[in-house]
Amino acid sequence: MTELEQLIGDKESTKMDHQKQTSLAVESRGLVKRYSEEVLAVDGVDLSIAANTIYALLGPNGAGKTTTISILTTLLEPSGGVAKIAGFDVVRQAGEVRKRIGVTFQDVVLDNDLTGRQVLEYHGQLYGQSKQERRARTAELLALVELEDAADRRCQTYSGGMKRRIELARALMTQPEVLFLDEPTLGLDPQTRGRIWDYIRTLKDQNGLTLVLTTHYMDEAEQLADRVGIIDHGKIVVEGTPRELIDQMGADTFRIVGQGDSGHFIEQVRALPFVQTVTTGDNVIQVGVDTGSRRLVAIVSTATDNGFAIEDLSVARPSLGDVFFNYTGRQLRD
Amino acid sequence: MSAALTLWHKHMRKSLVHPEEIIGLLLQPILWIVLFGVGMKSLMAPVMPSGSNLYITFMVPGIVALSALGGAVGGGSTWLMERVQGIVKEYLVAPIPRLSILLGNALSTVTKSLFQAIVIFIVGILMGMQVTTNPLGWLGGFLLVAGYGLGFAGIALAFASKTDSMGAYHSLIFLLNLPLLFLSNALYPLDVLPKWMQIGALLNPTSYVVDGMRQTLLVNGTALSGTSVLPLWLCFAVIAIFVCLGMWLAFSAFRSSVR
Ligand SMILES: Nc1ncnc2c1ncn2[C@@H]1O[C@H](COP(=O)(O)OP(=O)(O)O)[C@@H](O)[C@H]1O
Ligand SMILES: [Mg+2]
Repeated sequence: MTELEQLIGDKESTKMDHQKQTSLAVESRGLVKRYSEEVLAVDGVDLSIAANTIYALLGPNGAGKTTTISILTTLLEPSGGVAKIAGFDVVRQAGEVRKRIGVTFQDVVLDNDLTGRQVLEYHGQLYGQSKQERRARTAELLALVELEDAADRRCQTYSGGMKRRIELARALMTQPEVLFLDEPTLGLDPQTRGRIWDYIRTLKDQNGLTLVLTTHYMDEAEQLADRVGIIDHGKIVVEGTPRELIDQMGADTFRIVGQGDSGHFIEQVRALPFVQTVTTGDNVIQVGVDTGSRRLVAIVSTATDNGFAIEDLSVARPSLGDVFFNYTGRQLRD
Repeated sequence: MSAALTLWHKHMRKSLVHPEEIIGLLLQPILWIVLFGVGMKSLMAPVMPSGSNLYITFMVPGIVALSALGGAVGGGSTWLMERVQGIVKEYLVAPIPRLSILLGNALSTVTKSLFQAIVIFIVGILMGMQVTTNPLGWLGGFLLVAGYGLGFAGIALAFASKTDSMGAYHSLIFLLNLPLLFLSNALYPLDVLPKWMQIGALLNPTSYVVDGMRQTLLVNGTALSGTSVLPLWLCFAVIAIFVCLGMWLAFSAFRSSVR
């Protein structure tokens, strides 16, 4: 480490000490994880997540979400950078961090031979909870995730949604300060997803819990999160409240697919006073405007004037998917 | 320590879910005694030290060791399965000592081996084996079995930490199992073996646990081992070193496989 780097490092740690006083549940600076020469999974992630909020890391498969969560939950050591949970360093104070977090993993991690109740019991016991504590907490959580009737059946017999719910209950068993949920609704049907969302919302209202979740569903991030960090290729490309991010895009977004010379067309469109953003990629041109209904004619005539033949045009309220497209030039597909 | 006990309890509970597994574990050694023991009895009679008809008595400690080996292999595959399925992650994010995760697994393996040993001895007694009535002898014998089981549980856990494939694990373990059983005094007295096999057997902890058990648990066990009897203190010393070695292997393999 050079002297300069050391100086910067020191400056960063004082910065982090200061932020601790403003009660950040999660903070990281320059988090890096390199699995091998070729694979740089996390490439300098900075996070500042305030207590008692829901934060969503939104990004496509392979973006580095799971790796980031694994570092924050002490499963992986970072190749570089620092991270703190509730003020405790994830490497040097891993034990303190572990006492304060609850985690659900991307894949279902359940003992199929145990009943739902036993899963919760053993988990509490592992964390040193007393018998009364465990009993009370188990009853409370089984009620929360509505699994009372299935509590004494083996997990093997559970549906995908029930497995996710018992995992959620398990993560909450020891009353964590920060709850990490890695793709909590992965592979679930829309109705079950909605129920999981309801539980997650309920949780935030209770006892000041901070939730960090990852997802590749834009609607999930939009619906649940107070703040969203959009992650791609191991970097947070943009961060903000869902409203802020979407409002940047203009009130409405045209998605245009066509043939011909798009260069001139794009140039002209960009010059139009009511146009807020223009992004191209994947053969789609995306144009954010103030009000779609009033600007449709102007856009179409600009295309015609520039010899660009529109094949498909749609207008919609922008989503986080459009924000992702705007920053990465690629579609975020479910 | 309480985390290790919790995991021990969970493993024990889980094996109760599958009674067919338990029946298999108990039936296998019984078949060994009945089929191999009875079959070999007349063949082995001439090389038995006293020349008398004691082969069943002679071989029962060997079968106990064999079952403990089998138990250790099972413990390793449980660990491998928990790693592959990700269940280990639940333990790793918990505020518990890393060592307790391994210890929970190894303790449950040893517990099962001790139960197996009891059943095998009961079968042996029913078939006419003569055992000591000295409680100290029983304590010593079972300590040896527990140590042997713990040492091999460690080796199996080390293998299971190093591979992600159940097939690779089992072929490696199988390779280890055969010489451990046959290159020892478990099924025949040391002095009938060729020299090179005798040397191999003396490097094998199985010989020490078996000879130790004969001396602590059987009537006339010392005579059974004949001229090649291993001193009892040496049996205990070797097994103690073996426990440390096994656990150390397991822990260092575990450390390199997880954070
Ligand atoms: N254990 C690993 N070894 C090597 N590469 C890995 C490992 N885990 C993940 N990766 C790679 O790191 C990148 C980020 O993966 P991951 O964090 O799982 O992303 P996400 O959760 O956003 O889908 C991917 O390119 C993935 O292939
Ligand atoms: Mg992932």
